[in-house]
Amino acid sequence: MTNTTNTRVPAARTPARTAAPAPAAVRPGLRERGARWMAALFLVPTVIGIVAFTVVPIAGSVVLSLFHWNVIDPPRFAGASNYGEVFGDRTVLVSFRNTLVFMVLAVALQLVIALVLAITVDGRMPVWLRSAFRSAFFFPLVLSAASISVVMKYLFNQDFGVVNWLLGLVGIAPVPWLTSEHAAMAAVVLVYVWQQFGFSFLLFVGGLNNIPKEVHEAAALDGATGLRKHLSVTLPLLSPTLLVASVVGIINALQVFEQPYVLTDGGPGDSTRTVVMVIYETAFEQLRFGEASAVGVLLFVLIMAVTALQFRLSRRFVHYQ
Amino acid sequence: MTDSLLPRRSLLRYGAYGAAAAAVAGTAASWDRLTGADIPGRDDGSLVVATLGSAFSPDGVRALLDGFRKLHPDIKVRVNAVQAVDWSDFFAKILTQIAAGTAPDLVYVATEGVQLFARRLGVALDTWVKRDAAELREYFADVHPSLVESMMYEGSLYQLPIEFNAADIYLNTQVLRRAGAGFPDADWTRDDFTALLRRMKRASDSHFTPYFWTNRLWGGVVPWLFANGTNLLAESRAPGGDWLWDAFYPAGRRQGRGGGFRWTTPQATDDRVEEVYDYLASLVRDGLCTRPEGGNGQNLIGVFSTGRVGVTPAGGFWAGGLHLAGMRPDGFDVQYFPRWRTHRMQYGAAGYAMLRTSRQQDAAWEFIKYSARRDTLTRLFTTNQTTPARRSMLDAGRYRETGPAHWRVFYDTLDAFPGTGPIPAPPQVAEVEQVLLKHTGTALASPRAVRPALRRMQGDLERAMEREL
Repeated sequence: MTNTTNTRVPAARTPARTAAPAPAAVRPGLRERGARWMAALFLVPTVIGIVAFTVVPIAGSVVLSLFHWNVIDPPRFAGASNYGEVFGDRTVLVSFRNTLVFMVLAVALQLVIALVLAITVDGRMPVWLRSAFRSAFFFPLVLSAASISVVMKYLFNQDFGVVNWLLGLVGIAPVPWLTSEHAAMAAVVLVYVWQQFGFSFLLFVGGLNNIPKEVHEAAALDGATGLRKHLSVTLPLLSPTLLVASVVGIINALQVFEQPYVLTDGGPGDSTRTVVMVIYETAFEQLRFGEASAVGVLLFVLIMAVTALQFRLSRRFVHYQ
Repeated sequence: MTDSLLPRRSLLRYGAYGAAAAAVAGTAASWDRLTGADIPGRDDGSLVVATLGSAFSPDGVRALLDGFRKLHPDIKVRVNAVQAVDWSDFFAKILTQIAAGTAPDLVYVATEGVQLFARRLGVALDTWVKRDAAELREYFADVHPSLVESMMYEGSLYQLPIEFNAADIYLNTQVLRRAGAGFPDADWTRDDFTALLRRMKRASDSHFTPYFWTNRLWGGVVPWLFANGTNLLAESRAPGGDWLWDAFYPAGRRQGRGGGFRWTTPQATDDRVEEVYDYLASLVRDGLCTRPEGGNGQNLIGVFSTGRVGVTPAGGFWAGGLHLAGMRPDGFDVQYFPRWRTHRMQYGAAGYAMLRTSRQQDAAWEFIKYSARRDTLTRLFTTNQTTPARRSMLDAGRYRETGPAHWRVFYDTLDAFPGTGPIPAPPQVAEVEQVLLKHTGTALASPRAVRPALRRMQGDLERAMEREL
């Protein structure tokens, strides 16, 4: 048997309890218990919200993944057969591959662009210009992804788009941005990153502001300038922010939907079909809600696993001041 | 033993928590499922009619409701205009409403969803049609039997068609003049079509694309399949339907009609299907047409009206669209789709489907009947945003302001070519369409991709058609 610790006992009192196990001595006072009840009361709305809108839907998805359901007829218990269908479906497997490829490309590009721009904006420049840059980079994030994608679809059109027209001015042949397998993924990544990097940018700007100036001055005295300074000083001290940005970025990227749905409809072929697109199509177009839920559960597991891996790796690479 | 044992007081407390949780869960489980209809004010007893948001103009809807109210003051009607980018998106949203317990009574359904609704959600109109046969005789006399047959499923009628659109070829007359080409004959062939594209290409700059098409079920690859005497799925006719043909159509016009279309065995690897894809791949390779782009052709009106595209397949709905885009009536014209092995063309139609869940089916039938009347359709279709299913509504006056000069083509696609039929839309249509679109994109990515893509399309179509709905 293990020796379980009463977690309600404040840490400061724990030694006393180990020295003389007298429960009466560690019981919280009336005032302290009242404070705890008050804290619990404040937490109740949030807990209800999380249970109603997060826990219950997740549990519902897991349960639904064990049924065949087409909305019209009552659900029929299917056991694990939906999972068997999903693993045998080439489109689902390709969508997971596409989503992972998209995640790696989009998050890497997003973080690099955001970091470079944040360091640049953090340099010497007038305050008004810095504010202007911050607003400009953040602005796409508040726009609707679907609206942006509709506009981008016009811009990236192979025959009539502005992007190819501009490339043509410098002698580059038209690129089939949305109709070639490789170019289509690149186009989707570019549109996504253009919209999303503003969030990471703001995080990095905040992180850079928290790095004490003395550290940079000390590094400069030691002869570290330019790229060396950023690699040896800025990046390690920014690593907690990098962790947050990458965790949020990866979770968002694994759930990408609007951009490929509007820009390419998952094509050509399945080359830009993502997991969430497959969930939508399977459920709402093909009326196979059980299978769609099974794919959703697998995506949930994947996101949890990737996030857990990130936190595990962070122990090695993240430095807290 | 260690102090991991819970004290009696804690045990009682946790027991109470558990009992409370079990009570809440039990109460929730035993409660009747709440649906959207339980929201106060949501279910006001109106007859709810769901339409694709962009199908009718606000003025048209107002006129529709006002007219019905005068005729049936006792029936309250509410139109639920569902915003969607295409029919597939629209059906997805309707199904969401059904799942939420707020199913409409009537849904405006196009060919893409006729059999899906008929099989799973719809009510056959046979009883009402037989009952009100005298009243409906004038309607059927005015509507081509092929449109009616496209609304039948396994011998029963599920909708009265009120509009349709066949894939004809729109030509920009300015581009024709620039190329020194005349307006094509009604009997033009695929080779004439190719020659015209080449001529247009030669007479224009590098930013010009002679032929633009959208990768979708209606108006994409399918018209070419029909022209080449084949189809994506083997097409046949269900038995039955005599009750309707005998009652409303003379012998000459009902000949060969059955109980609705059946689309069954996939035939993507059929030689003629391969020929079609090879032909389209050659057009792409020679820069005569765009690569297949997904979507609903939103940017097509812009590039066509500005002369950056020469020809494109579209239906009567485009006459109004091009007029609104600022094109003069003589700026464009329309001709039949070119002939290949056959001169069979494709269309899609639409009408109101009654849902099984409706508790006001008699009222719903009155609305269906009312919506198919000539005066109703005249009020509804004022801007040439579609082709009315009633032949008598297509006249020179209707197209004087918008064009095109050859407006007769729209209905003659049915009258002059009786074999013209609906796009293949079995109950598994959503998956069939998705498979078609994705493998068409791959097939036309490069000339050598056609056969492998069609083999994969065949496999995917077979799986889709075998799937239990």
